[in-house]
Amino acid sequence: MLKEEIQKALQNPVIAKALTNFYEAYVVAREKAYEGLDFEEIRNEIVRVKSYTAEHFDELIRKFTEEATKKGAKVFYTKEIKEVINYVLQVAKAHNVKTIVKSKSMATEEIHLNKHLQEAGIEVFETDLGEWIIQLAGQRPSHMVLPAIHLTRYEVSDIFTKKVETVEPDIKKMVKFARKNLRGKFLKADLGITGANIAIAETGSLVIFTNEGNARLVLTLPKVHIAIVGIEKLVDKLEDIDPIVKALPRNATAQPITTYASFITGEREHWDGTKKEVHIILFDNGRSEMAKDPVFKEALQCIRCASCLNVCPVFRLISGLVFGRVYTGGIGTILTAWTEGLKATKDIQNLCIQCGNCVKICPGKINIPDLILEIRRRLAEEEGLPLKVRAIYSVVNNRRLFHTTLRLASKLQKPFKQGPFIRHLPLALSEPTQERSLPAIAETPFRDLIKKIKQPDFKEKVAFFAGCLIDFAYPEIGEKLVKLLNKADIKVVFPQDQTCCGAPALYNGVMDVAANNMLQNLNALEQENPDYILSACPTCTLVLKKKGLLALRNQKVSSEVLSRAEKMAEKVVDTSYFISRLIKEGRLTFSKPLEEEFTYHDSCHLKRSLNIWQEPRESLQKAGLKLKEMFESDMCCGMGGSYSLKFPEISAKILERKLKNAQDTGVKLVCTDCPGCIMQIRGGADKKGLDLKVKHSLEILAERL
Amino acid sequence: MFELFKEKASALMAEVHTFKNQRETLEFIKGFIKENTLTEDQKAVVWYDTWFLDGEKKEDLLAELPQITFEITPEIASKAKIGINEVDGAIAESGSLIEVSNHIQKRLVSSLPEIHIAILPTNRIFPDLKTALRSFNFATTSYISLISGPSRTADIERVLTIGVHGPERVVIVCVENL
Repeated sequence: MLKEEIQKALQNPVIAKALTNFYEAYVVAREKAYEGLDFEEIRNEIVRVKSYTAEHFDELIRKFTEEATKKGAKVFYTKEIKEVINYVLQVAKAHNVKTIVKSKSMATEEIHLNKHLQEAGIEVFETDLGEWIIQLAGQRPSHMVLPAIHLTRYEVSDIFTKKVETVEPDIKKMVKFARKNLRGKFLKADLGITGANIAIAETGSLVIFTNEGNARLVLTLPKVHIAIVGIEKLVDKLEDIDPIVKALPRNATAQPITTYASFITGEREHWDGTKKEVHIILFDNGRSEMAKDPVFKEALQCIRCASCLNVCPVFRLISGLVFGRVYTGGIGTILTAWTEGLKATKDIQNLCIQCGNCVKICPGKINIPDLILEIRRRLAEEEGLPLKVRAIYSVVNNRRLFHTTLRLASKLQKPFKQGPFIRHLPLALSEPTQERSLPAIAETPFRDLIKKIKQPDFKEKVAFFAGCLIDFAYPEIGEKLVKLLNKADIKVVFPQDQTCCGAPALYNGVMDVAANNMLQNLNALEQENPDYILSACPTCTLVLKKKGLLALRNQKVSSEVLSRAEKMAEKVVDTSYFISRLIKEGRLTFSKPLEEEFTYHDSCHLKRSLNIWQEPRESLQKAGLKLKEMFESDMCCGMGGSYSLKFPEISAKILERKLKNAQDTGVKLVCTDCPGCIMQIRGGADKKGLDLKVKHSLEILAERL
Repeated sequence: MFELFKEKASALMAEVHTFKNQRETLEFIKGFIKENTLTEDQKAVVWYDTWFLDGEKKEDLLAELPQITFEITPEIASKAKIGINEVDGAIAESGSLIEVSNHIQKRLVSSLPEIHIAILPTNRIFPDLKTALRSFNFATTSYISLISGPSRTADIERVLTIGVHGPERVVIVCVENL
């Protein structure tokens, strides 16, 4: 089912084009919108304000209710979807409501309100243009802020023509048509329903942002108003709205401010001289539970800007039509877990490639990939793993068995091996090689090669953690590292008992296997008591430094083991950083070779998780190479570890863009510091027959000594 | 600060004009009405006035421009081409108008017609939102709007279109020396 939906979305050229155009414009426009402002300062304020809310739900609900009620509104708090619907139906019945106009509200989508109203024989009209189009079309929104972005003007014209009346595919004309047509609905509506962007406890006010002016009319024309507001919208004081007002429009649509911001408090005048009836439903549905969960509490810092969707390499290919249910994208996955339950996220949580692009842009500083990983972990725990997967992990956990298997595979691959590549796997296994050639398994893994390398017995020693890819697919990278370090008078020690870092298990939520790997590696790496433990694969670096510790804590290892692991973690350094330091200290110099041009690909883990991106560029430039940046140099290559095996079709499309961006620079060399990215980009270039060399920085630096 | 307000508001496609006093402002408004409506367009202009026309004879104004009406209902405002009201302040940093509309007619004229003429005293411009919020009493105001330019959408193909459900033109007439 999911696979079919993905294919359908990938094959729809409109979605990718629309979302990609939006993304590229958005990044630039957003930067401009933030000129003169300190985004980090604003985010910290938002975290302060929203985390206070999460910790004081009861108090703020009480305060808000008191203030709003004092000023004439009716406030109703509930945890149950059913009660919200009944409340609305009761009010509608009491006022003999025939027509309702709505302004956009995710909370009302969450409870499928329109469906229930229509079942009760009441006409409901969405008034936000995008939402109205989707409502007429009977489709789901493809994006939380721009629901109809996946539709062309021709499709919109078709929808209007079929469902309302003929209108030509001219955007200006269609907008005027919407104004005219919905104007009548506004004027005759008996009830207006809105959400709210912010609920201020101190004053009992709601704040509602729109650009179109539809909320103003929903709030002004009908006699009765119901606002359905998730309790996460609450803030304590009036002044607390400031960072949200600054960040929400800028992050959502790259605007400095929305055209309208309405502050409504209590009851207000109706145009016939009477007072309007104002109902505010404070809606829970899992939010107070989320607040009690130490891991997910931070998700309540979300201001519903949807900017995580705007920078997600996966979302821009398949949109919210696939990547989500009511709520979409990265944050949507997390909200779904709490509003619909963990099991509802089974398919969509898998779609996150864990690239981390959303982390720096989130105004609420929510670590979305980490939270999704936690969902993955809880699902794995709850559901258990299929036998086949368990079997694979048990091999991986047994180091000798694992390595023997790989050595055997090295022999068995001979019929499929073409030089350094496996270009086609037979029949059932063919999917992984469709878009990208796999590396051949090395005849001699690095763990055997290192025994044969003669190194002088330097006083300074470092331990090298190779990781599976360098050990078994790219041992030459390890050789180059030894060459570089020897030149700086450092000896490389390779603890033979090291095994897979455990990332595949970790990133699939299988904590016991991951912890087991971490323990094995801890024992292996502690042995010679090295000053530094080097890793040339940022994923392994990250696991040894941080993620592996989470697995150990999850499995409740002893505090003694944990402290040993923490001590080891401190010694772990990525080679890109270590080498750049050696160069800066003058311990590595390069001969004056011919200038060669290169472009650099930032691996997700190196740049976003380890914050290393200047050093590798500087090192290569010091070695005499000329840098030409590619567009979106830090966008994921699509590898995502096991992601490329789970969703090869998505991985391939992401890779396609990366290859295009690299080629567009005109240079023939791509440097990167991640063997996973090398596998992906080099394999893709080979499969497409491109004139592009893809090398680990270590390889280039070593040959330029 | 006025310059900043003018810059930001203009960037949002509001039209900003400045006048030395009430008299000159009124002349402009009358001229604008003449340019954009015909005498026989009944109720083409809805005007919610609280202080601006103090000292003016409303009957004379109506005689000169019979398209104006001071009677405001949703139906009338919806059919009108121009809506005129006085706004309560502005925010320089965002180019926004502040409209306190406890009385619903005030809001009807700025949310339904195609063109909104907003009369803004220049001594009511605040530097930023924080300062502005502090000066309003939320205990006694049931509806405050921040209005930043004409209504807009990019919901179809992300093409920016001005003029959706709210006005498609916002004309800000700033009055000095009040």
